[in-house]
Amino acid sequence: MKNENAKKITTVNELEKKLRRMRLAQEKFASFSQEQVDRIFFEAAMAANKARIPLAKMAVAETGMGVVEDKVIKNHYAAEYIYHAYRSTKTCGVIEEDPAAGIMKIAEPIGLIAAVIPTTNPTSTAIFKTLICLKTRNAIILSPHPRAKDCTIDAARIVYEAAVRAGAPEEIIGWIDEPSLDMTNLVMRECDCILATGGPGMVRAAYSSGKPALGVGAGNTPAIIDSSADVRMAVNSIIHSKTFDNGMICASEQSVTVLEDVYEEARKEFEARGCYFLDPKEARKVGRTIIINGAVNAKIVGQTAAEIAKMAGIEVPERTKVLIGEVTSTRVTEPFAHEKLSPVLGMYKAGTFEEALDIAEKLVMEGGPGHTSSLFINPDEKEKIRQHAERMKTCRIVINMPSSQGGIGDLYNFKLTPSLTLGCGSWGGNSISHNVGVMDLLNIKTVAERRENMLWFRLPEKVYFKRGCTETALDELGSVMHRKKCFIVTDTFLYQNGYVKPIEEKLDRMGITHACFYDVSPDPTLQCAREGLRQMNSFEPDVIIAMGGGSPMDAAKIMWVMYEHPDVNFEDMAMNFMDIRKRIYVYPEMGKKAYFVAVPTSSGTGSEVTPFAIITDEKTGTKWPLADYELMPDMAIVDVDNMMNQPKGLTSASGIDVMTHALEAYVSVMASDMTDGIALKATKLVFDNLPSAYLNGAKDPVAREHMAMASTLAGEAFANAFLGLNHSMAHKLGAYHHIPHGVANALVLTYVMRYNANPVPVKMGTFPQYQYPHALERYCDVARYNGLAGKNDQETFDLLIDKLEELKKTIGIPSSIREYGISEEDFLSTLDEMTENAFNDQCTGANPRYPLMSEIRQLYLLAYYGKDTKEAALI
Amino acid sequence: MANRIILEEKPNKTVFREGDVIIKEFVPGHPKEHVFNEAYIHSCVEASGLSIPKIRSVVPSNGGWALTIEYIEGKTLDRLMQESPQMCEAYLERLVDIQLEVGGYQVLQLRNTISKMDQVIKSVEGIDAATRYELLQRLHGMKRHTRLCHGDFVPSNVILRDDGSYCVLDWAHATSGNAGADAAITYMRFSLDQPEYAEEYLRIFCERSGMSVRYVQKWLPIVAAAQLAKKNPSEKELLTQWISVVEYQ
Repeated sequence: MKNENAKKITTVNELEKKLRRMRLAQEKFASFSQEQVDRIFFEAAMAANKARIPLAKMAVAETGMGVVEDKVIKNHYAAEYIYHAYRSTKTCGVIEEDPAAGIMKIAEPIGLIAAVIPTTNPTSTAIFKTLICLKTRNAIILSPHPRAKDCTIDAARIVYEAAVRAGAPEEIIGWIDEPSLDMTNLVMRECDCILATGGPGMVRAAYSSGKPALGVGAGNTPAIIDSSADVRMAVNSIIHSKTFDNGMICASEQSVTVLEDVYEEARKEFEARGCYFLDPKEARKVGRTIIINGAVNAKIVGQTAAEIAKMAGIEVPERTKVLIGEVTSTRVTEPFAHEKLSPVLGMYKAGTFEEALDIAEKLVMEGGPGHTSSLFINPDEKEKIRQHAERMKTCRIVINMPSSQGGIGDLYNFKLTPSLTLGCGSWGGNSISHNVGVMDLLNIKTVAERRENMLWFRLPEKVYFKRGCTETALDELGSVMHRKKCFIVTDTFLYQNGYVKPIEEKLDRMGITHACFYDVSPDPTLQCAREGLRQMNSFEPDVIIAMGGGSPMDAAKIMWVMYEHPDVNFEDMAMNFMDIRKRIYVYPEMGKKAYFVAVPTSSGTGSEVTPFAIITDEKTGTKWPLADYELMPDMAIVDVDNMMNQPKGLTSASGIDVMTHALEAYVSVMASDMTDGIALKATKLVFDNLPSAYLNGAKDPVAREHMAMASTLAGEAFANAFLGLNHSMAHKLGAYHHIPHGVANALVLTYVMRYNANPVPVKMGTFPQYQYPHALERYCDVARYNGLAGKNDQETFDLLIDKLEELKKTIGIPSSIREYGISEEDFLSTLDEMTENAFNDQCTGANPRYPLMSEIRQLYLLAYYGKDTKEAALI
Repeated sequence: MANRIILEEKPNKTVFREGDVIIKEFVPGHPKEHVFNEAYIHSCVEASGLSIPKIRSVVPSNGGWALTIEYIEGKTLDRLMQESPQMCEAYLERLVDIQLEVGGYQVLQLRNTISKMDQVIKSVEGIDAATRYELLQRLHGMKRHTRLCHGDFVPSNVILRDDGSYCVLDWAHATSGNAGADAAITYMRFSLDQPEYAEEYLRIFCERSGMSVRYVQKWLPIVAAAQLAKKNPSEKELLTQWISVVEYQ
């Protein structure tokens, strides 16, 4: 172990060879287990601890600075506290694992660390840095300061030899024997990371080396003694800190600002405890001695107060602890405002706490922000403590403690990380703002396994169904829930044709007072909702019944939102989301004022079981599509008695809408076992019953009832699996050309299906559950469930398309958009805008194929001219 | 041959005027590369368009080498300050203005201030390893700029003509680098030779340049170390004091 490492490193050439050997050693070390590393860490810390006194003596003898007994504490701290802090910290291999979430974190060493060691704390910093490198399986090369090279190297050697005895690879710790700036710069360029403790020049050099650096910068710790402080404790803490190693700890107080009302008390305590107050003439002399051209005189660093006084040509008692200059200026030109690295302190008087903060803030900003600030105060003065913390641009703010010992952590507060390298944040030009520890010397690899998205299945609290269930359902509002006031929302047609009557009569029988707003138009507007709301507000219902097709139910949902939360902003609520669970806007909680009951009269939108509503702003023409589970009705009453007399056109349009809901929910990227069954069932109910419901109306009540079920089932499916591109395109086609929603869906349906079924889409939808393009297979499931089977998937799919085309024909859907009656000129002039808006529709995200806008445009054109749907398969 | 008027005699050179030229005659053995380098630097600055005397020739002379430079009529700022002490503040302001104008030029062929200082500090005798380390660390922590720096911008090197135009002399020390370093040199020269003007100069310079006093001061230990290399015994005490400072750590 002595042979190679004993070779002195004095030239660049030798250093380059040394670094190569160290890299090889580190490669070996990187394979060590946590147990091996912990044993090395233990032995190295013990060896350093044992050597704390000789190393302290050596440091003082070599540098001529500081106090042996205090350096003993620093060495002791660097060995014991650092060991204690990290003894059980995992630093090798897997350090964290969450199998359920599929996350694993693996710690790896960084490699070769370059450590620049200062003159003020040479041995303790060397112990600190070598120990944390051993714990993290890094190699470390120390670049000592020429003024402290022997003691720095000795400290490193003691740690190194103990580490090797405990099994560490030889050459895992190295040092430069004859330091020069060129060699320091070389190690900084050649290493993998720099631990640069030192002044601003060194830190800048580290950062400009091109290697990641953890450096510290200048500080100018200001202390404040507030009126509420325990003055005796405060003064003695400052003296304790300021005299520690003759003021050389970087976090040491450089000035103290005392509130006027306790100034005399503090002054007396300073005096009584051996501090010397300089008169103005003496202060000038000391000022000129300690600071030369704005920099600290090297000769005074780490000297005693008496020695510094002597250099300045003034006489003070030999045992003087701190020289204090009472000053007012916070400018750089004031020596006492400067950082001093010696037991010399500037003292300011402040009239108010605010003024004290001003002084401290200026001193921090002048001296180089980022390091440490200190406050002595009654701990109950939370507001002042908060104000102080807010104003100080320092990364450590220590309350009621000597800042030298306090700032390095674990001595006066046991959650502050113990460290001898203190980050100063971007204010100090640093990449870190915390106390450097082992975690800063590791590369953490995160292994993330594929997981499927959490899903849920949401429904109204109660879904009543079967013919005649309205009576029973409403009964619950009175006899179980004891509701008193009911507000009914419906449209004029339903109201005038007596649909609301049975409900009102039932409410009367239960003694529930009611009011009815029946002015909802198709495509309900915000203005209409506001009108309803006005009446709702004056009526103050505790239950709302929405009766009708999609429009009254949507309008009622909007009124409900505004009734419960008058301040909502529709623009926020309508913001598109990628995942409804991660959306930015959080919907307000609904149901605090009123229970919401939806009674559909068509089959249908499924709105009675979905969390969606669309509202149009009449003034701007903007459509706000709202989607959130807060908009889910509390109760749905699916009673075919309310749907018997739907007109033919409505039966056709809303019936094919149901089919589209079911098909899109089934092929959605968010489709799940929870939604698949009901979606399939809905397709079958539609295929089997829509033709008769359309042709025979109320004469075939069974078909009507099956269609009612189909509508609600499909609603439940898409409320949870969402829709797709078919709806995106239909929404815009309907909006731009006034085509009923269901018809618009039907006009693009088979084109979108062909497009989706392409097994080689340009892009597929993004969702962990959607593993590869498989819309074709999904459509075939639907086909087979409906008794269609070809020789292969393609044929089976063709049969499904044919069956849909046949259904469309039976229920009177035109064969193309053009045939519906949209002129070519009108269509083409809106095509690009429709395309972009369809792409941006909320429904697009769940489509199995992620569409390009050009593709949507092509689909629109095919559907417009009624081209063969097989052309869509080629897109 | 016109009359020779000796202007300056130094161990390594004699400077005299001869008609409309100034001749800098170096002693035999004075390194040829130094003479040619000075001529080169001078020529580069001349080409920048700044108002400086034109270099006429580099010739062998009395066993050594001599530079011939155009003679410029007018009084130096130094002389003007001596003649009218009551005008000193105005002359200092003029000095700063001209210095800032010079700093507005870029002569990229010149050596960078930091590299030059690096070489000087590494070779200067009489400072210990620790101080040298600190000085180099300070130097290499400086940002690399490319302003034209005269390197000895003192009143005696600036000629002010009656019409208000100026001419800057002696470009032997010019570099491309930091205006702060150039100001630090001027401040140091004042502190050594005319300390009564030093603080006033620094105040005016910082006021007019917008540079902080602290930034100029950061260069002082560096320029002081470079000045130490000139081994002027009377300067040693002050310069030694200036270089023994530490950065916060």
